[in-house]
Amino acid sequence: MTAANGLALIVLAGLSAYAVLGGADFGAGLWELLASGPRKHAQRDLLDRAMGPVWEANHVWLIFVVIALFSGFPGAFAALSQHLLVPISLALLGIVLRGGAFAFRHYGAPYGGDPVKGTRTWGRVFAIASLLTPACFGVAGGQLLSGGDAWAPLPLLGGALAVLCCSYLAATYLAADAAGIGDAALANDFRIRAIITGIGAGGLAVVGLTLVPGPVPLVIVFASSASRVGSLMLLRWRRYTLARVAAATAAATVLWGWAAVLHPWVIVGGLKLSETAAPASTANVVFAVLAVGLAIVTPCYAWMLRVLRPRAMAE
Amino acid sequence: MLDNLTAAREQMALSLSFHIIFAVLGVGLPWLMLWARWQGLRKNDPLWTALARRWAKAGGILFAIGAVSGTVLSVEFGLLWPKFMERFGSALSLPFTLESFAFFLEAIFFGLYLYGWDRLPPKVHLACGVPVAIAGMASALFVTTANAWMNGPVGLVKDSSGKLVAAEPLGPFMAATTPPQIVHIGLAALMCTGLATSAVYAAAMLRNPAKRDGYHCRGLAAGAVLGLAAAPLQVIVGDWAARVVYAKQPAKFAAMEDVGHTQSGAPLHVGPFELPRMLSIMLKFDPNARIAGMDSIPAPDRPPAAIVHLSFDIMAGLGSALVALAVWGGWAAWRHRRHGAAHPTERRWLLRALACAGPVPFMALLAGWIVTEVGRQPWIVYRVMRTTEALTPRGGLYVYFYVTFAIYLTLSIALIAILRRIARGPTPRDEPPSDMPQPEPIAARQAVAA
Repeated sequence: MTAANGLALIVLAGLSAYAVLGGADFGAGLWELLASGPRKHAQRDLLDRAMGPVWEANHVWLIFVVIALFSGFPGAFAALSQHLLVPISLALLGIVLRGGAFAFRHYGAPYGGDPVKGTRTWGRVFAIASLLTPACFGVAGGQLLSGGDAWAPLPLLGGALAVLCCSYLAATYLAADAAGIGDAALANDFRIRAIITGIGAGGLAVVGLTLVPGPVPLVIVFASSASRVGSLMLLRWRRYTLARVAAATAAATVLWGWAAVLHPWVIVGGLKLSETAAPASTANVVFAVLAVGLAIVTPCYAWMLRVLRPRAMAE
Repeated sequence: MLDNLTAAREQMALSLSFHIIFAVLGVGLPWLMLWARWQGLRKNDPLWTALARRWAKAGGILFAIGAVSGTVLSVEFGLLWPKFMERFGSALSLPFTLESFAFFLEAIFFGLYLYGWDRLPPKVHLACGVPVAIAGMASALFVTTANAWMNGPVGLVKDSSGKLVAAEPLGPFMAATTPPQIVHIGLAALMCTGLATSAVYAAAMLRNPAKRDGYHCRGLAAGAVLGLAAAPLQVIVGDWAARVVYAKQPAKFAAMEDVGHTQSGAPLHVGPFELPRMLSIMLKFDPNARIAGMDSIPAPDRPPAAIVHLSFDIMAGLGSALVALAVWGGWAAWRHRRHGAAHPTERRWLLRALACAGPVPFMALLAGWIVTEVGRQPWIVYRVMRTTEALTPRGGLYVYFYVTFAIYLTLSIALIAILRRIARGPTPRDEPPSDMPQPEPIAARQAVAA
């Protein structure tokens, strides 16, 4: 295995981490928008408490991917930046508005009492911006496979699939968090939402299989289907901790399927990834630094996720 | 309507200026938080602990805006300057890769610090502040290392025909421009954070003299000491940086100091004044030393001199004013300690100066960035790649600029509203001295009444 191959795998690993960790934070936007029923406020409160401590660290995965990509494959980064100017700019818009709006919504009333004027509006901006970003990334992913415009079936399906996958992840994680703090009714709210979006995401993934330009390796199709069905069954049985793992696997395998079809291209029919790699001398150094860095960051990250899980007591 | 090159450059300038304000606060505030939390634990002082909590709240929101605006920048490198990233992305790989891990650690431990107050033992919580402060500073220095390399690129590998084939990954760490630039920005971050903090408490004391209590005094002192102690050091580092600029980027130096033509015994231009021979003396310690001017630079390679010189004067002028403030504040504190003079917070003019000094280091910082970036023009990588060569072929960039402008303006307004709310929260009052009579417990009074 060359350093370039290793770098490509690290980029994919970073993208997967961004999808299953950061993706859930974006998916929470849909549940902010669609909060309803007798536990409307409890739903919004839970997603605020679940996301607040970790979304920034989850967001760093995107920066990590961007940097790993331009370090290892500067040509690919340049080509993607030019080809995907519009969807990526819109995704950035979503990122800025989502992050800013979440912070404003979260700190709108730092000591209780009436929130600062406009805090409610920021809640809505947070929700809509949260959907814009995964939709744009999904469209961009589809555009790379189709090699063309955004207004084609595959990019549009990519956008919808990304939004549904994120919403599914968010609902599953929130159901597990609600169960963790002992609120069975709230857990059930998110459980139902998870099952609906999970079936939708699975359905779109199957449609996607027929649209992509190349065959998806059977092992990925099998792993994705098994984890999707498995996560839905686990949700049905209220086995939330395992459902969390299965849902994350289902989302990651969709991404891996996309990567397998894309390989060896950066843009199908345009540019090959291997042609864009950094010189071997650089690639070796970058690969070594990335491997060591990940070995340091990963245990800290896991500790953070464990310590900052929502807890029963009010903050 | 702006042409593409102007739109791209304005967009970059806007994104950088916006980000840099939050970035420096994100770098500096963790050090203040760490200090306050440590003092609170060590002395069992609830006022320091309250300050640490307050700063953590402000830090949380500033860090969020800094994180997203930094993401915009990292992606914009590609969106606006794809040719630059294609050729030099791997040259900048090492500082940026290290930056991404520093940023990871900062985000992880900042999350733990902000939300771990009641979940972690106090000492573990305090320890979580250490990687935040170190990694935050490190990430800023790594990013600046990449920028310094663009100012003085080294480690470029060319083939026999002179065509660039690769760049050494260690190049950015070897560049002569790197050491002064990273120390300069590190001190700037501390000055901005310190003086912004002390300005908040100075303004509160001016509005309401009753607020000269322990809580506000601690906040004021921590910020002012950090910000003003860095000010004189910054002058020395600035001098060092200017010498390196003269050696490595003569065009930028000529623009900065407004040296039109190469001359012996060059004067120093400060605003409308001209100090004869001063530049030669300062730079070479020789009144007759020959200084290279703009006429030694071929016309197509010259930066726009007027704006660079003006920005440089603003930066140097504001920096000098802050040194004067540091001397004044230090003198007032010394008089109070040694000679029992009034407490520095009793001096209204000093408080006024500290309140006004809040935005000053930020203005100096932005002016300094203009010197660095505009002074490097027309190059994106000095003497290697021109900014025009790096531009994306995609059109209509002005739309992106206007949208970015509108969004950042909106965010700024909302942010100020919320930071004001955070600053105006209830503050703990001083505890009465222990020798004062304590009020009777309620139960005892009820017993008497019965």
